[in-house]
Amino acid sequence: MNVVDPIIQIEHVNTFFGSFQALTDVSLTVQPGEKVVVIGPSGSGKSTLLRTINRLEKISSGSIVVDGHALDDPSQDINKIREEVGMVFQSFNLFRHMTVLKNLTLAPVKLKKQQKSQAEKHAMELLAKVGVADKASSYPVQLSGGQQQRVAIARALAMNPAIMLFDEPTSALDPEMIGEVLDVMVTLAREGMTMVVVTHEMGFAREVADKVVFMDGGRILEIAPPGTFFDYPVHERTRTFLKQIL
Amino acid sequence: MSEKQVIIDVGDGAAIPRPEDKGLLSAWWLSFLGTLAVLAYLLIFHPDPYLRLLKFLPDGIIVTFQVTIASICLALLLGLLAGLGRISRNRIVNLVASTYVEIIRGIPLLVQLFYIYFALGRIVRVPDMVAAIIALGFCYGAYMGEVFRAGIMSIDHGQTEASLSLGFNRSQTMRYVILPQAWRTILPPVGNEFIALLKDTSLVSIIAVSDILRRGREFASESFLYFETYTLIAIIYLLITLVLSKILSNVEQRLSHYERR
Repeated sequence: MNVVDPIIQIEHVNTFFGSFQALTDVSLTVQPGEKVVVIGPSGSGKSTLLRTINRLEKISSGSIVVDGHALDDPSQDINKIREEVGMVFQSFNLFRHMTVLKNLTLAPVKLKKQQKSQAEKHAMELLAKVGVADKASSYPVQLSGGQQQRVAIARALAMNPAIMLFDEPTSALDPEMIGEVLDVMVTLAREGMTMVVVTHEMGFAREVADKVVFMDGGRILEIAPPGTFFDYPVHERTRTFLKQIL
Repeated sequence: MSEKQVIIDVGDGAAIPRPEDKGLLSAWWLSFLGTLAVLAYLLIFHPDPYLRLLKFLPDGIIVTFQVTIASICLALLLGLLAGLGRISRNRIVNLVASTYVEIIRGIPLLVQLFYIYFALGRIVRVPDMVAAIIALGFCYGAYMGEVFRAGIMSIDHGQTEASLSLGFNRSQTMRYVILPQAWRTILPPVGNEFIALLKDTSLVSIIAVSDILRRGREFASESFLYFETYTLIAIIYLLITLVLSKILSNVEQRLSHYERR
């Protein structure tokens, strides 16, 4: 049994958008180094759940503790917590007015007060790691979708986060570019990064996940290791979903 | 991925020619060369009174530019504050900014000019030119506020989310991520406002500021050459706005470099 404190602890969370309940009594713990893949039909609340972890979405009740910091504690600086939690978006969201290199160095220089040269050195290492070092001086519009997403991953890593959140990172990509992004994510997982990934890529879930979370209608219906989850799903709704998607 | 640039057309300044707008570009050259030709004709074949008049006006041209530049600086500052205020989540800030915009937009500029000139005059004695700059600055600040607001809102919300997720707070996000991008969208309408403002400075001639128009009126009332005077004044305004619109169009092109592949 793992005796380390969980790095993310979500307990009995409810979230409302107006009168619509997006999350209902959601609880989930993530251990350091664990890879959690969240799947479910669209509108199931999986992206909302992910976005509550760095408070891009506020919760209505319940509690979320990230790396020892309670998100609803007013004495906690949410911006400091966000520095610890990298996020990768479906639509990349690279800063369009900056070169790739500047996209990576902006936050370390302004927020972590790193020297520009030091930040650039680190940025170049990260760009090499995700395979786009030759694009350092390009602007985002000059890159393909797959390249942009790899840069977005590198940008998040530039802050040396303890946790990485991925919100459908391959859903906006052309099929031939999905592989190059997933490869980077697999490498990251192998290096021991704590990851919470919302995705439709079942192959990735099977290969990388320590546990798979299935959501529907704003609730978590099932949490299981991938082997159990895919081969012996317990819940009827899970079975229907897997049948449709596989 | 929407790469299409949002163009906010306020449309009370001179049209700014873009390279892709062939019609407007040739219209610009036609107007510019035509105006120059007319000016040259008048100065060469009718040096009296036109050359005499032209020598009488430079002071006024300088005043017009001084008023324009000082007012646009004030208007940009107020416009940025008003624009940020209008999108603020703080209800009081939002209400103050919105009320400013509503009130100013509902009063004709000429009335505002009189009002600030005389109302201010009851409290403190300010030079005519300062009163003119304050009135123009406050008026254009309200319009500029809407331009800033639209420019900021035109930036994809994903940019804000990416910035917040890295740990930037809201004002850092505005400063490093949103405003540098919004500026490009904002620049064309701000350029339009600048040119519109330059034209509207002619109103200040009414409150004893010696701009181009007032200098012209002084000349005309002494010489009774009304037609000639206003012909030349129209030509000067036209040349200034044409040159400015060309400059702005070039600046705009340069700022859009990161959009091109």
